Amino acid sequence: MSVITNTPQISTASAARAEGLSKFYGTGDAAIPALDNVTVALAEGQFTAIMGPSGSGKSTLLHMLAGLDRPSSGEVYLGDTEITSLGDKALTLLRRDRIGFIFQSFNLLPTMTAAENIVLPIRIAGRKPDDHWVASIVETVGLTGRLSHRPSELSGGQQQRVAAARALASKPQIVFADEPTGALDSKSGAELLGFLRKAVTELGQTVVMVTHDPTAASYADRVIFLADGHVVDEMHAASADEVLDYMKHLGA
Amino acid sequence: MLTATLRAMIAHKLRLVLTTASIALGVAFLAGTLVLTDTMGLAFEQLFGKVSAGTDAVVRTHAPYTATDGVSTSRAPIPAAVLTDIDQVDGVRHAEGSVTGYALLTDNDGSAVLTNGGAPTMGYNMPADEDLRGDVDLLSGTAPDAPNEVAIDATSAEDHDIAIGSTIKVLFQGPTREFTVVGTVGFGGEKNLGGTTSAYFDTKTAQKVLGTPGYFDTIGVSAVDGVSQAELAKRLSAVVPQGDEAVTGETVAQENSDAVQKDLKIVGILFMIFAGIALFVGSFIIWNTFTMIVTQRSREIALLRAIGGTRRQVLRSLMIEAVMLGVAASAIGVVLGMGVAKALTTLMDLVGFTLPSTSLQLEPRTIWVSLLVGTLVTVVAALVPARRATKVLPVEALRESTPGAEKPSKRRAVIGLAIIGAGAAGILAALYGGADMRIFGVGLLALIVGVMVALPLAVRPLAALIATPLKLRGLPGELAKQNALRNPRRTSSTAAALMIGLTLVVSMGVFASSLKASFGDVISDQTNADLFLSSSSAQGPGFSPSVIAAAKGVDGVDKVSAGGWGQAHFNGGNTSYSAVDPATAEEVMNLEVSQGSVADLGKDGVMVSRSTATAEGWKLGSVVPAEFAVSGKHRLHVVAIYDGKGWISDNYVISLAEQNAFAGPQLVASGLVTLVAGADKAAVQQAISAALADHPDAKVLDQKGFEKEASGFIGQLLTFVTVMLLLAVLIALLGIVNTLALSVFERTRELGLLRAVGMTRAQVRAMVRWESVVISLIGALSGAALGIGIGLALSQALKDEGIKAIAIPAPQIALYVALAAVAGILAAVGPARSAAKVDVLRAVVTD
Repeated sequence: MSVITNTPQISTASAARAEGLSKFYGTGDAAIPALDNVTVALAEGQFTAIMGPSGSGKSTLLHMLAGLDRPSSGEVYLGDTEITSLGDKALTLLRRDRIGFIFQSFNLLPTMTAAENIVLPIRIAGRKPDDHWVASIVETVGLTGRLSHRPSELSGGQQQRVAAARALASKPQIVFADEPTGALDSKSGAELLGFLRKAVTELGQTVVMVTHDPTAASYADRVIFLADGHVVDEMHAASADEVLDYMKHLGA
Repeated sequence: MLTATLRAMIAHKLRLVLTTASIALGVAFLAGTLVLTDTMGLAFEQLFGKVSAGTDAVVRTHAPYTATDGVSTSRAPIPAAVLTDIDQVDGVRHAEGSVTGYALLTDNDGSAVLTNGGAPTMGYNMPADEDLRGDVDLLSGTAPDAPNEVAIDATSAEDHDIAIGSTIKVLFQGPTREFTVVGTVGFGGEKNLGGTTSAYFDTKTAQKVLGTPGYFDTIGVSAVDGVSQAELAKRLSAVVPQGDEAVTGETVAQENSDAVQKDLKIVGILFMIFAGIALFVGSFIIWNTFTMIVTQRSREIALLRAIGGTRRQVLRSLMIEAVMLGVAASAIGVVLGMGVAKALTTLMDLVGFTLPSTSLQLEPRTIWVSLLVGTLVTVVAALVPARRATKVLPVEALRESTPGAEKPSKRRAVIGLAIIGAGAAGILAALYGGADMRIFGVGLLALIVGVMVALPLAVRPLAALIATPLKLRGLPGELAKQNALRNPRRTSSTAAALMIGLTLVVSMGVFASSLKASFGDVISDQTNADLFLSSSSAQGPGFSPSVIAAAKGVDGVDKVSAGGWGQAHFNGGNTSYSAVDPATAEEVMNLEVSQGSVADLGKDGVMVSRSTATAEGWKLGSVVPAEFAVSGKHRLHVVAIYDGKGWISDNYVISLAEQNAFAGPQLVASGLVTLVAGADKAAVQQAISAALADHPDAKVLDQKGFEKEASGFIGQLLTFVTVMLLLAVLIALLGIVNTLALSVFERTRELGLLRAVGMTRAQVRAMVRWESVVISLIGALSGAALGIGIGLALSQALKDEGIKAIAIPAPQIALYVALAAVAGILAAVGPARSAAKVDVLRAVVTD
């Protein structure tokens, strides 16, 4: 499904979308909405950032879109597949084969080397990795020479780059990143974001990232703002200052 | 954070349950053993008290030493004439002679009424005086009162449908005779006397068939009112002839009870060993648990230390926890122990060793010994991890780090290998260098300890070996291997518990199969016999000498050589001896007589083994002092020295005639039959079998059959030992569950990550399952290897005792290892399930 081309291209097709998505915690009168009737479509080949103050539901939205959590109501589509009705096994296989993940921390298995971590989802699937593809990703993220190191021997930035390489190694339809720079210093963060940007621009990868950092959001093609479980606004190709201003306006 | 705390508590609860169970099981076995032995002891005491009730004093010949063979006395008989002297003594109400001996009942079809586990088949005279009968009660019919009358125990009558009025044959050392059953007998509420069979005759008949006419084994005396037992015994002592003695009835009851207690003690010690093994294995789990507790709490401990808590205080708090755990688990163990005692009683009942019934005895001693031992084991096992925890520097522990994953140290390798080397050297020195056998024992122990110390080093290569086929299982298999290797020390102490169990089971298996193989070799190499005569029941005491004569008369039979066995004092020590037929022994057995001749045994000859002769410096003609309970001291002369131990493995061999003269009339233990040239073995066997129709106490077997029969008990013993050791294996499995549960808990985030990036629940379960299999196989393989080594060393050590063949029961060991793998899969069921249930979001959300 993913289109790999060297020219940036705005596609009208959505890689993933949510329709009337709600998530409540607790039951009955005490139920607290984390997401309230959210409808959003994420375009293919785009770098989308989801922003919002703490408790806005941005992480919840990402988890739903990525098939890590189940909504209380509403539907999530990955490409044409409606995923909220899928069973655990189908959902797991979907994550394995069609989605790439970068988490804020604890992205890697401590017993495995960087190289092993990169091909982990492919190995879980019992497939052989595409060596050329993996090598090119490794080169792009600048991990050549670090491949035989274990996570404990890598810096935080390097660890996140291994995670990013893993997310791309299986050629997923979409990559979800949950605060990927949250635990990094600004230089390492910039390196990682630059890499993600490159993946979108040069490889046509679809990337969806949750962040509360306006600088991180400025790398995205589109920034979606969430507040109190609602999508409140969005920006295109915004600068860090523009995002920051809007966030201030949101009262974060 | 609250959920994390709650989750930790739930995980701890499981750990608490598993740890408690591991201690409680060991303690339960210990308590159950104590309860069982107390109960059996009391039951037998009550039984003997009942039987000897009414007998105030006993007059008997003096024996140089007390018989070691249980309840039956082996003393010289006392002449009946003594009775007249006794009757004259003031205070004697009634005195009567008592006769006891071997009597084998047959049923309506003429087949022997066999007992289980070699329990004796006994004959007695029925005292005419009701008081002197004690609690021997007639349950039906009348007491025997004529030469052809017999009363039998109610169990034999019921089990074999022997009705009153029917005629049965009873076999003795002498000729078989027919009797009419006139009554059935019980023993103070029991239908048999501790699993034995009993036949009661009138006194004259008993003297004839069980003993010697004109003689009694003992004389029972009852006092008139007002004369105490001690007083009566004192008065009787004044009149009994030289060489006789008078003792109180209580003394005799005590002696009988003591003799049984002595046997029970051996049973008790045996069970105690298994309880000890179970506790030892359990201590590994406690060790592991406390290592985990302190690792998890290292930050808490460090904080305590940082704000000024002393090492002592930290250690004390951990020790208090260990004591509380130990006491609580031991208390549960004591309660379970009652169930264990009940189960063991049922088990023994099933194998035919019926115990006289009495309620289970929970002595205060049982309670405090169990509590003390259980608590002590817990505290000792917890001490090292607790001490290690207190050594951690505060700053070190406060630093963020993943717990555990330390590599086994070089020091450990050096120490472990040094102990293994020393142990092996000791074993080899004892086996081939002529060093003391005690060094052998210490060497074995050192070997086991050394392997346990060095096991963490073997975890990596063993895991690599085991995981090779797992590679085919893809990533879960590989991750399982990596996880097992993550903390080699934890993996090895978890596996060590299983290793110990397997080591014992396998070494017993190797030893037993070597024993069996040797037995086969001995039968074919050390005898020239074509056919074998043996007692009807596998562990029976033997058969009447008339069987030998009957077999001799069969066409095609060349020679029949009888053999006997007994215990006596030779050269000052209590030892077993063999008795042979001097005329035929050298022809039917390969005794490898190097000096002298068996044929010269005569009236006071003895053949000694080469090793004993060398050790004592005996030559032909040397005097060997011997003392028999019945006949006292004898000076025997060495007439032959033999090398060919095997069929006969005793150091002292005398003739059957000497045995009868020194120890009284004896049963024959076995008969070796050779055929005339050209005779058809199968036909002769059939003919002998037909000739033995009137001799249901014996049967004829070919070599294969005899081998099977004689080695049957080895299999039984092995089964029993294996069943007992299964308890240790079970506890080891609890340890694996414990370790896995904790590992799963520690790796929650990792499991979540794996699930997030696409590992299915089935794959997660497989991963935990294979890790369990890797751990259990590390234990099983190292246990099997160590067990084979120890089994071989044991067999080699007993080479001189006749274990000449070495056999490794490979299929059996492979089965054990396979079972360990299956057990590993079972142990992983719970942890695997909780691993698969891990919430994906918990791993990816940073809170």
